[in-house]
Amino acid sequence: MAVTLEVAGVGKDFLIPVIDSVSFSVEAGEFVCLLGPNGCGKTTLLRIVGGLEPPTRGTVTLGGEPVVGSGRHTRKVGVVFQEDRLLPWMTLRENVELVQKPLGIDGAARRATAARYLALVGLAGFEDYHPARVSGGMRQRAAIARALAVEPDLLLMDEPFGALDAQNRRIMQNEVRRIWRETGRTILFVTHAIEEAVAIGTTLVMLSARPSRIRELVRNDGRVERSKLIDDLNTMIMEEVERQQRSAPA
Amino acid sequence: MLSAGRWAARLHLPTLAVAGVVVAGWVLLSWRYGAFVLPSPLAVLHGLVEIVRSGEVWTHTGASLGRIAVGFGGAIVVALGLALAAFVSRTARGVVHDALAVLNATSVFVWIVVSIIWFGLSSWAPIFTTFMITLPVVASTLVEGVESVDRRLLEMGDVYRLSGRQKFAAIVVPSTVPYLVAGMKVGFGLALKVSVVAEIFGVTSGIGYVMNYSREILATQMVFVWALVMILVMLAIDSLVFDAIARRLARWR
Repeated sequence: MAVTLEVAGVGKDFLIPVIDSVSFSVEAGEFVCLLGPNGCGKTTLLRIVGGLEPPTRGTVTLGGEPVVGSGRHTRKVGVVFQEDRLLPWMTLRENVELVQKPLGIDGAARRATAARYLALVGLAGFEDYHPARVSGGMRQRAAIARALAVEPDLLLMDEPFGALDAQNRRIMQNEVRRIWRETGRTILFVTHAIEEAVAIGTTLVMLSARPSRIRELVRNDGRVERSKLIDDLNTMIMEEVERQQRSAPA
Repeated sequence: MLSAGRWAARLHLPTLAVAGVVVAGWVLLSWRYGAFVLPSPLAVLHGLVEIVRSGEVWTHTGASLGRIAVGFGGAIVVALGLALAAFVSRTARGVVHDALAVLNATSVFVWIVVSIIWFGLSSWAPIFTTFMITLPVVASTLVEGVESVDRRLLEMGDVYRLSGRQKFAAIVVPSTVPYLVAGMKVGFGLALKVSVVAEIFGVTSGIGYVMNYSREILATQMVFVWALVMILVMLAIDSLVFDAIARRLARWR
């Protein structure tokens, strides 16, 4: 259950180097936010950690087991993508039940687990709705319930609230924070919104401009005042954005 | 079945008005040129009642639909196999694409002539023609459906380690079924039209045969009667089968 995520010297090239070399480790139960200027490879890094893409260099281990491109390890990973990626022809309940099938859980238990997590994300009573019948925020909640239903060792979230309006975004941030407290899952959360990261993360990893390295790793434990932290991070991100623009080919 | 209200909505007034004008024109032309060239609507209606009463309508419609069931049914089965191959292997996809392009470019008449040479004067000639003509239509839409399966959903399946079979059943099949139904709808329309043409040669039952026979014995009104039967069969199957399936598929939208 309690496993450590170890990212060691991970880099990725797509024709040009996107990620130079990134190393950090995440203790079980941490809520890590991955920040950085647009195009610095945040999503790519998350996909490498999730085993959806192989790194060009470096290794990722989850509880000591290497995470390779095909994701063939015994650790369980849940992913909440930018889009909900729910199957539109299945009800919310069926969507959450589906991902438990490969775990060899019997039908009654799948149903109970689906009901429990749908209730946890505030979707009790909507179990039998199809995704097209509920709002975008509710679909993203269902995607979170689906990710939690496999009881993941690591929960990856890739700007999950990017498509939501400001009000729903605020609500969902509080919800994710609450879900994290109630489930104790280890979370790696990609965002480009500094306020969001400071509001919900326990550890903030700021990436530099492309080819990215770690610019700053901040423990968000209240020792630094929030408003000052936000200001500092904003300054850093603007510096990185400028650096990226200067180095970009004309 | 549709309620009276829905029927009234379907047969809306402007359409009825146009139909009225067409029938009036038909009556006038029939009057002018005589029943051999253009029989009157009343004569056609009489003919229809006659074949319904004698049961002849079922014999020939049944024979045509039976051949379509075999030829078109076979085409669907083979199309499913081709689409599966195209999904599993990239190489197969290229071959299937090219083969379908060639079949699509082949004329109906080629298959009619070839099938008579190969199968002689038997039911297999229209069956084979129907098969060869509808196969590329159904298979192309199916392959297109398989290719348009959302890769992001498949990736989601990989994240949660769904097996190949689970991904196929939960993701590939449901996203391809609407394409299958669309392909079948177009394919069936084509099957009915093509098999009837193929029936002109070498068989002694079916709508195509009886239309051509009616022409030979100078019973022009029966040619029109059977054309009407064909149209009614097409409309009935479209609304009772394909529209019903399409409505069922749209439930989750």
